[in-house]
Amino acid sequence: MNEEVETSLLVIVLDTNPAQRLLRERTHNLTQCLESVIAFANSHLMLKSANRLAMLACHSRSTEFLFPPPPAAFGTQAAMLRQVDGQYELFTHVEKTIRQSLQQLLMRDTKSEPVGSACESLLAGALAMALCYIHRLEQDLSSGRNMNSRILVVTGSADSASQYMSYMNVFFTAQKQNVTLDVCSMEQDMSLLQQGCDITGGLYLRIPQLQGLLQYLLWVFLPEPPIRKKLVLPPPVKVDYRAACFCHRELIDIGFVCSVCLSIFCKFSPICTTCHTVFRSPGPLPIKPKKRKIKLN
Amino acid sequence: MAEEEEGKEYRWETGYEKTWEAIQEDDEGLLEGSVAEIIQRAKRKRQAERHGNTRLGMMRHLFLVIDNSDCMSNQDLKPTRQLCTIKLLEGFIDEFFDQNPISQMGIIITKSKRAEKISELAGNPRKHIKAVQQLTQVACSGEPSLQNALELALRSLRMLPSHASREILILMGSLTTCDPGDISVTVQNLKAQGVRCSVIALAAEVHICHKLCRETGGLFGVILDDCHFRDQLFQHIDPPPAATFLDSSLIKMGFPHHLMQEGKEASLTMCMCHVDSTDGEGGRLNSGGYFCPQCCSKYCELPVECKACGLTLVSAPHLARSYHHLFPVDNFKELEFRDMQDKIELCFACQKRFGEHDKHVYECGTCSRIFCLECDMFIHDLLHTCPGCATNHSTSQSMSNDSVPPR
Repeated sequence: MNEEVETSLLVIVLDTNPAQRLLRERTHNLTQCLESVIAFANSHLMLKSANRLAMLACHSRSTEFLFPPPPAAFGTQAAMLRQVDGQYELFTHVEKTIRQSLQQLLMRDTKSEPVGSACESLLAGALAMALCYIHRLEQDLSSGRNMNSRILVVTGSADSASQYMSYMNVFFTAQKQNVTLDVCSMEQDMSLLQQGCDITGGLYLRIPQLQGLLQYLLWVFLPEPPIRKKLVLPPPVKVDYRAACFCHRELIDIGFVCSVCLSIFCKFSPICTTCHTVFRSPGPLPIKPKKRKIKLN
Repeated sequence: MAEEEEGKEYRWETGYEKTWEAIQEDDEGLLEGSVAEIIQRAKRKRQAERHGNTRLGMMRHLFLVIDNSDCMSNQDLKPTRQLCTIKLLEGFIDEFFDQNPISQMGIIITKSKRAEKISELAGNPRKHIKAVQQLTQVACSGEPSLQNALELALRSLRMLPSHASREILILMGSLTTCDPGDISVTVQNLKAQGVRCSVIALAAEVHICHKLCRETGGLFGVILDDCHFRDQLFQHIDPPPAATFLDSSLIKMGFPHHLMQEGKEASLTMCMCHVDSTDGEGGRLNSGGYFCPQCCSKYCELPVECKACGLTLVSAPHLARSYHHLFPVDNFKELEFRDMQDKIELCFACQKRFGEHDKHVYECGTCSRIFCLECDMFIHDLLHTCPGCATNHSTSQSMSNDSVPPR
């Protein structure tokens, strides 16, 4: 068979922020999510030997790579793993590495001072890091090989409006680089991430029951993007792309846009609140001189 | 690559000593590497000069003037200058509408001492790309006429509202031009109307082109090879700094949402953008689309100007695409890798291990993270967000205070 095997790269962004409602309620939820995600990651690697994996943890203070492991954490430890329970070595390696890296991340975090209790997860930054990693891997690809990449976000956070700019930059870059963005939301509907899935052609799913996380991941998010056309997956959510005006945050149909900073207002105002430019108020319409009818007497 | 310094030196003033030493062969005796390095250095210089606080003209109306005269069948750019130009323009038009979604473009060609408009001022990239692709059928003949082309463009640009930025980009392959009158009068007219003209010369620098650019505040460039041509062309994708007399006004825009009529009463209608199409493509009857909030005409894609009531229809992501011009990422500081060798091993964003071939590493001024060269270019050209600043609470708070509040 001369067919080129296409590599599929999966980057998982796991939201481990302890301020999420799910984790504050019951800390065991994190262990459950982590086990489901690791099982999902191993299933992805099992599909094809050419498949690749990366995983990031988006924590309260920073975002770090869990897999491939940062070498500083392991020093010069040779990766000689013995088989445990007859499990395939690669899976053991993935599981052990992810658990160890996450453990070290959490321990490092508890030692330093706590950030405020209500701090949001900086998912946009984690997505930006994932895109840089994907970009590097695509550059290193040997010629003649293809790779399709996707990012899966597993999060229990609420929508965050303050990261709008970063989110939009990330979505447009992902669209241009042909990276699909999938989102698995465990808590509530996140309209910004829904827009991202729509822009990049990915899937958005809100899970009704946390116990079924692994089932939902395997059913919806395991097939790679070229195969998804042949499957029947949950239909895309209707995203409302209307803009919200900056003064009242209401969705509007017709608005006024400042030509300098592109901020949107629902009614005319003489000064733009964002960039403070003064607008020329629309003067009276020029009156056309009436044409005199020539009397034909 | 002419520099616009007034104190330009001439050969007899020994300003041009041994200019061939600027281009050097690399180990295999090829010149490509050094031309690529020149392009790279010019790109970094341009990035360094960009500030975040200059007002930019976002709603751009650009006229492309393409030289279709005899000299464009010259084969110094492969396969011919005309075909190379057409290929690069297809990429340029796509990228232009991607980065400036609320702008409009028109195309004019000049040949046989005349100028002809092949595509009207519009915001739809597909129409323009089709018009450019049909140019391969048009034979190159005669001499170009710079004045006729400029007058033709000026006639349309004159009608535009004052808040729109008016631009002309001329791709000139010939060293001559055949004009009916005095071209200085045209140049003065353009300057009075506030039209910014830029020229990319394919052969050599011509004084009148350079003067035109200087008077109107545009950019002038002469290409070295096709990669340099692409680089010069793509320089014009970024919005130019707004002229001081550009009025700032509130523009009325509509934000339609996509409606699908379901059920038995769903009426099949045709969209207004394809209602006039003579060829079979595009004019399909369907029951959903974007409805103008003012007059309820249906359109199949955005952004578009409503034909019935004149309202510009956009969606919020289209405006969001232009926000990164207003809030660019600050330039990273270039550091020698030898100094940082014991402190840092990996690039923060892509986790690449630094090796001997990484001569320089780059540090972000705000979050102090270290990045490799590839990530630096990726962040500044495509991503427009520093991953270090976006993953840190204190820096991301200051980022969101500067930027526009979202929906």
